[in-house]
Amino acid sequence: MERIYILVSGPLAWIAWSVLILGSIYRLWQVFSLAKQKEQVLFSYISLKYALRSIINWSIPWNTTNMRLHPIFTGVAFLFHIGFFVILIFLSAHVIMIEEGFGLSWPTIPDALADVMAFLVVGACIFFGVRRIVRPEVAFVTDWTDFALLGLVAAPFLTGILAYHQWGDPLLMTILHMLSAEILLISIPFTRLVHMLFAPFTRGYIGSEFGMVRHVKDW
Amino acid sequence: MTPRRFSFLLGASFIVALSVLGAIPAWTQDTVLKTQAFGTLTRPVALFDHDTHNEKAGLDDCAICHHVYRNGKLVAGESSEDKACSDCHTLQGQGRQPGLRVAYHTACAGCHTTKAKGPLACGQCHRR
Ligand code: HEC
Ligand code: HEC
Ligand code: HEC
Ligand code: HEC
Repeated sequence: MERIYILVSGPLAWIAWSVLILGSIYRLWQVFSLAKQKEQVLFSYISLKYALRSIINWSIPWNTTNMRLHPIFTGVAFLFHIGFFVILIFLSAHVIMIEEGFGLSWPTIPDALADVMAFLVVGACIFFGVRRIVRPEVAFVTDWTDFALLGLVAAPFLTGILAYHQWGDPLLMTILHMLSAEILLISIPFTRLVHMLFAPFTRGYIGSEFGMVRHVKDW
Repeated sequence: MTPRRFSFLLGASFIVALSVLGAIPAWTQDTVLKTQAFGTLTRPVALFDHDTHNEKAGLDDCAICHHVYRNGKLVAGESSEDKACSDCHTLQGQGRQPGLRVAYHTACAGCHTTKAKGPLACGQCHRR
């Protein structure tokens, strides 16, 4: 088991981050060269001002008409995304490992706060899953891959909670935590989680077209 | 009960009580990691039963942990077990001397990693 920990905390972590970075560059290159080939005209609509204006407006909870139509979903979605990145970047155990491995360090959030956020992230995943079953209009466009992706995202948080509270064997839980996070990182470029990369561009494009060409707000 | 017998029982139970009390520290850890330098701890103190640990791990050379550096060089054959790690390692690192937490983690988890033996995950050392 010690050897498995050394494997998942060392070589596998390097592989996962490399696949994430190289895979992301590949996916962005792929989409941009496709756009260049087929829809040259798209590029003439891009305006940094209108793109940023749209991105900023869509980054404020309940700021858009669409968000106000779905207030609960919006609240949960914002909590989920904020929790995801705040825990990833500011959890003390993550920063401690980076400091001891690379000599870099930055401020952290209290573990008690991270704990609450982790439960909220897992709860949000359950909420998204239930919504996919009970809302007919969403159930209609749902298949098993949606649940698989939700499980993939929830797994590092669930195992992180187990490892932190030492529910179950700490070594095993920490191994499962690192392994599930690595699987998640590797899947980002190649699944619908790729929206993490594309969202700023699609939002920016729509913002540009609405702002510059149609002279209307897109929120 | 005669007074003699009473005082015998009283004395005997006194001795039994004392030896039980005296034995308690022997059941718990004998070495206390000096953690005052950290201020309030954010995690439970790490498990470390000095003599049992070193016996199990086969560590005879005290200087593996209780090292002495002079002019940036490890001094062979000298050890510093009269000092706490925190006497030299301040919270923040100073030049090549790592800060206290990093010193502990590098020393402890570093060896466990090289030997692929002993605790590696946070929760294995910082047991609740
Ligand atoms: C695996 C690392 C390690 C080894 C090997 C080791 N020690 Fe220690 N020792 C420690 C740590 C850690 C402490 C606690 C220091 C502190 O609190 O700052 C300690 C504390 C001590 C103390 C302080 C007494 C106390 O209970 O607080 C003495 C004395 C000591 N060690 C003697 C020795 C001797 C003698 C040897 C060699 C036979 C030895 N140690 C080998 C890690 C080690
Ligand atoms: C007498 C002062 C002193 C004491 C006591 C001391 N250290 Fe150190 N330690 C140093 C210095 C100085 C360095 C920097 C060495 C260099 O220049 O590379 C150092 C470096 C280290 C390093 C990094 C280099 C290496 O050897 O791997 C670790 C880890 C470490 N100490 C752990 C400990 C632990 C654990 C204890 C307590 C058991 C301890 N030290 C006690 C002075 C001390
Ligand atoms: C030079 C190598 C070395 C260093 C330094 C070292 N350890 Fe260990 N440790 C081991 C080995 C080897 C084992 C496994 C012993 C066994 O069970 O066979 C071990 C086991 C342990 C265990 C489990 C003990 C048990 O009863 O199973 C704990 C807890 C532990 N180490 C804590 C520490 C802490 C805390 C430090 C730092 C102060 C430390 N170790 C430094 C080699 C080391
Ligand atoms: C091999 C044992 C070992 C492992 C594994 C380990 N630590 Fe420690 N840690 C120690 C020792 C020894 C100290 C110094 C004494 C103490 O505070 O327990 C320490 C101190 C700390 C401190 C500073 C004291 C405090 O409580 O605020 C923090 C924070 C910490 N560790 C976090 C972690 C995290 C996070 C992990 C996992 C990434 C981890 N440790 C893994 C042994 C370990």
